[in-house]
Amino acid sequence: MSDKAFAVLGLFDSPDGLLAAIPRLRALGLGRLEAYTPYPVHGVEKALGLKKSPLAGMVLVMGLVGALSAFLFQFWATGIDYPIVVGGKSPLAWQAYIPIVFEVMVLFATFTAGLGMLLLLNRLPFYGHPVLSSRAIAAVTRDRFALAVEALGEELDVQAARRALEEAGASPVEVVPLPASDGPYSPNALLRGLLAIAASCLAAGLLTYWGIKLMPVLPPMVHMEDQPRVNAQAPSAFFADGHAMRLPAPGTVARGFLPYGPASREEAAALPNPLPRDAAVLALGKARYGTFCAVCHGPLGDGVPTLTAAYGAKPANLQSRTVREYPDGVIFDVITRGKNAMPSYAWALTEEERWAVVHYVRVLERAQNARDEDLK
Amino acid sequence: MSEIEAGRGAVAPVKTREGGEGLLAALALAGGAGVLAAFFGAPAVRFWANVLLWFCFYATVGLGALFLAALEHLVGARWSVPLRRVAERAGSLVLLAVLLGLPLLFSLSVLYPWTRPEARHQPFVSGKLDGWLNVPFFTARALATFALWGLAFAVLAGLSLRQDRTADPRLTLRLRRFAPAFMALYAVTVTLLAFDWLGGLEPAWYSDIFGVYVFAGSFLAGLSATALGTVRLLSRGRLPGVERDHLYNLGGFLFAFLVFWSYIGFAQYLLMWYANLPEEVFYYADRAQGGWPWVMAALALLHFVLPFFALLPRDRKGDPTLLRRAAALVLVAHLLDLYGLIFPSLSKTVVFSWPEAAFALAFGSLLCLWMRRAQSLGADMPVGDPFLREGLEFRL
Amino acid sequence: MSAPAPSPLPEELAVPRYLEGEVTAGSLDDQVLAFPERKPPLKWFVAFAFTAALAAAGFGFIGYTIATGIGVWGNNRPVFWAFDIINFVFWVGIGHAGTLISAILFLFRKTWRNAIARFSEAMTIFAVMCAGLFPLIHVGRPWLAFWLFPYPNQRALWTNFRSPLLWDVFAVSTYFSVSLMFWYLGLVPDLASLRERTTHPLRKKIYTVLSLGWRGAASHWVHYEKAYLLLAGLATGLVLSVHSVVSFDFAVSVVPGWHMTIFPPYFVAGAIFAGFAMVVLVLVVVRESMDLQNLITLDHLEVMNKVILGVSCLMAYSYFMEAFTAWYSMNPYLHHIFRQYVSGTYGWAGILTLSCNVLAPQVFWFRRARRSYPVMILVALCVTVGMWFERFVIIVISLHQDFLPSAWHLYKPTPVDFAILLGSFGLFFTLVLLFARILPVIATTEVKAILPGAQPHRHGGGHE
Repeated sequence: MSDKAFAVLGLFDSPDGLLAAIPRLRALGLGRLEAYTPYPVHGVEKALGLKKSPLAGMVLVMGLVGALSAFLFQFWATGIDYPIVVGGKSPLAWQAYIPIVFEVMVLFATFTAGLGMLLLLNRLPFYGHPVLSSRAIAAVTRDRFALAVEALGEELDVQAARRALEEAGASPVEVVPLPASDGPYSPNALLRGLLAIAASCLAAGLLTYWGIKLMPVLPPMVHMEDQPRVNAQAPSAFFADGHAMRLPAPGTVARGFLPYGPASREEAAALPNPLPRDAAVLALGKARYGTFCAVCHGPLGDGVPTLTAAYGAKPANLQSRTVREYPDGVIFDVITRGKNAMPSYAWALTEEERWAVVHYVRVLERAQNARDEDLK
Repeated sequence: MSEIEAGRGAVAPVKTREGGEGLLAALALAGGAGVLAAFFGAPAVRFWANVLLWFCFYATVGLGALFLAALEHLVGARWSVPLRRVAERAGSLVLLAVLLGLPLLFSLSVLYPWTRPEARHQPFVSGKLDGWLNVPFFTARALATFALWGLAFAVLAGLSLRQDRTADPRLTLRLRRFAPAFMALYAVTVTLLAFDWLGGLEPAWYSDIFGVYVFAGSFLAGLSATALGTVRLLSRGRLPGVERDHLYNLGGFLFAFLVFWSYIGFAQYLLMWYANLPEEVFYYADRAQGGWPWVMAALALLHFVLPFFALLPRDRKGDPTLLRRAAALVLVAHLLDLYGLIFPSLSKTVVFSWPEAAFALAFGSLLCLWMRRAQSLGADMPVGDPFLREGLEFRL
Repeated sequence: MSAPAPSPLPEELAVPRYLEGEVTAGSLDDQVLAFPERKPPLKWFVAFAFTAALAAAGFGFIGYTIATGIGVWGNNRPVFWAFDIINFVFWVGIGHAGTLISAILFLFRKTWRNAIARFSEAMTIFAVMCAGLFPLIHVGRPWLAFWLFPYPNQRALWTNFRSPLLWDVFAVSTYFSVSLMFWYLGLVPDLASLRERTTHPLRKKIYTVLSLGWRGAASHWVHYEKAYLLLAGLATGLVLSVHSVVSFDFAVSVVPGWHMTIFPPYFVAGAIFAGFAMVVLVLVVVRESMDLQNLITLDHLEVMNKVILGVSCLMAYSYFMEAFTAWYSMNPYLHHIFRQYVSGTYGWAGILTLSCNVLAPQVFWFRRARRSYPVMILVALCVTVGMWFERFVIIVISLHQDFLPSAWHLYKPTPVDFAILLGSFGLFFTLVLLFARILPVIATTEVKAILPGAQPHRHGGGHE
């Protein structure tokens, strides 16, 4: 403890006493006045001439900064950087950003209010203030009210201050000395402590980052990757042939597949043409005939193909008596299963289309073999 | 744990217009002539839409003021006792509203689509015509509402005025006992006002927060009217003992409920916008074109942004000039709010010309005249209230 | 305009004192601050053992869930959300009462809140901690929960800012931070008192560090009071917004029964309702076991029961509005689901909700009921149960029978669901017991400021 006085501090029993003493001591101008109370006493700050707190303005500004940053960030992230349409709304739609904007505004404002008040305005935490080691502080936090005359730079007139306080009704009056050396709660120690905390936070953060990167590949998290199911082209001990992939069961057919009915051409001869001979069917038949049949059998069905003579094969003349006497079912069967050099056209024409082509062929035959009465 | 600002004390006189009753009457008559012209010259829908607008305005302001008085009885607040007479006087507007509402009951078919035969074939509407949206039941509900409003005013203002003469503290007890009943009556009638009169313009639309939304606007309107009346009387020295501290509380309530109104309005909008259901969102789609977005933007600005930032600083909430301006702004914005609830449902594009101006002149002046006349209701403060002295002693 | 002579005030109009007997600043310190300073009684240890065991069991089952998968819960299609979200909404709601008491009542200058504010704020923080557990564990891969935060990553992805689930993340974490900040700032002067009173060297160091060197300087009080006022205002905004954002989880969807615009204020009212009931329950236990009847008076409990009654009426209005609007909408899906709320497989839950939330608190119209321990404890329990079931009704009933009948399916909770729910209660009460042991349960600084004679006579007078 040094012998330089930091302040002269007087304790009062009631808030009225404190409030009455302040103007008297202010008038004497012995030093900077500070009051210490267990709770805020109305009128003290006005009596001491303390300025209004600027905290409200700071909080407003930081709140607006928070709101603006939250809005701009969301706008940029979901609207510009990686636009995604959610719920059919434009990626730039502002309505959905409002809740987060509000919350972040409150967050920024809160931290400004709390930390701004503590760190900036009150310069707390500060463990080295001389009053903290005075005798009066225990009473101040309990139920007494203190008025301190603090040294304003030069030496404090301790005797005058003590007299003034006693005359104003303070009892007991105490001289608070300046602390001599750096105690365990001095600013330096505090700073070192804060740096240690910051360093450990950094270390913890890096460790967490590494841990989070590692954690998904540790058990039991990896258990989900190890699933008791069959993968394509993998071996399997379950089946005799060791393959996990199996062939379809015998008799499996493709969807939409129907087996072809007649077992032979003779059976096919008995099939009636299920389609009516109307304009639509004939149009369909003409179109398909033109696509698939006319190349070999010719546009008129007379076996004069549109292919060059170099083709070699000789397609059947559909106008011949043989073909004209075929039942519809035989022509259908020929288209389906092929005959001689003609391959099956079942891949090209559905059953309906084949029957339509049969109708068209009949029309071609009739057209080339018209009778006189057809012209009347 | 509260601060005391320097210089709080009696309120300095505020410059307001004096003795303009004659002028107001002249303006009202001029507006009335315009209203008459609109009755004959403007389309019927236009005319009755304006009547509906002012009916809702008077009703919401009056009910909001009555709510303020009843709230004081409900929670046993003492700081607001000196101001309660102003609220009770403003509550008399419900009587004026009833006068406007009665003719509306004869013109339902002009405004409301569910009265017309096509409604029988509209999805979402046809099913509720028999049980709810029919003229007899609507009229019965409306008349019951009007009767309840009259009852509420008679009890809240009547008992308080009687207490002026007798100073009987048992009347305070009766008022406190009536307060919960008023709250139930208020909840039901404000919801009916919202669903029937305002929501009925779009019978296919529904929103269960709509009653709360109209309540929020109504309470704000009542607060503004009370604040305006209080500042006016204070500036004329007729409320001795009422200090800035009382005004601060009024300003604080105004501020808080501005935020509440905005929250309710935005919540309804956000939910309907997000889900985008055709059977709901057409309400907002109508307000998103035809010039209506300007009205909506003006509403956001006048009803939220401007008064919010004006009232945000602590020492401004108790400043009489600022409070007067903010309260007047909120009242105008409330009118705009009702306009935005009624007119877009009736017109694809913004309508504002001589009929609206005439109605505004007529009924705005009538409002001011009525409030001046209402000052003859009892003393300027509830002198018989046992807590008046304590209320006047209230300091922050 | 002179007032006639006043007649004597009837008893019912008397203003409650909210304080019993002679209380001075010193006696207050001795009464309240003594608890952290001495060894707790046996009943504290018994209670702690019970709640800690419950919490540990709950955590065990949470570990089992994380290791095995969400399949051990009853969640299945179409009821994809069940106990997990019910519990989340329940606990977040309970937190709101604390913020209302400490922040909103502060702004209204209701000084009776000073004696109960500290405890309520602590309960808020603990409730939010319990609530935060559920979104974390219900995601299936909780070790990837950090994906919920928008940090730059090699997938070049951002979080979906348009999802209410993400709004929840921001809202609840903001709420937690703000409540913690508000609570801690209020604690600082009390910690300074503890610092000066204690002689135990380790405790003195801890209190010294935590009290930040607070010395009660008037120049500090100016900024402190401003910060407190601003934080109260900000916390008030949070009371409205946080539970509204939670309600958006449901209301922005199109599920019948969920897409009701009244959800935001309805959820906030429900939160205050459930929270006040929990506060009443805990306060009754605290005031009896810690002999604080002179500071937490029957007047406090009565006014809180009045609030419970008032909010119960708000809930009744909300339920009625929902039912009426469901009918008015002429939407057949809404008609169906509202019928399912009160009939059908889970109709008993709807009836239970209505009885507990609307009927039971009506007993508080009677003054004797408001001041009676058995009645208020029973009603508070009813409200707690009723509010839990209200979320059950909203979530499970709406989900189990929505648009497509072929997808309808019943929901059956598993024992793991129940164990985790009980575990959350265990966690909450463990934290409450620890708080009561370590820190002052009453904000002595705030109560000192409103004792008679605490303020100079020139500025004293009515605080109402």
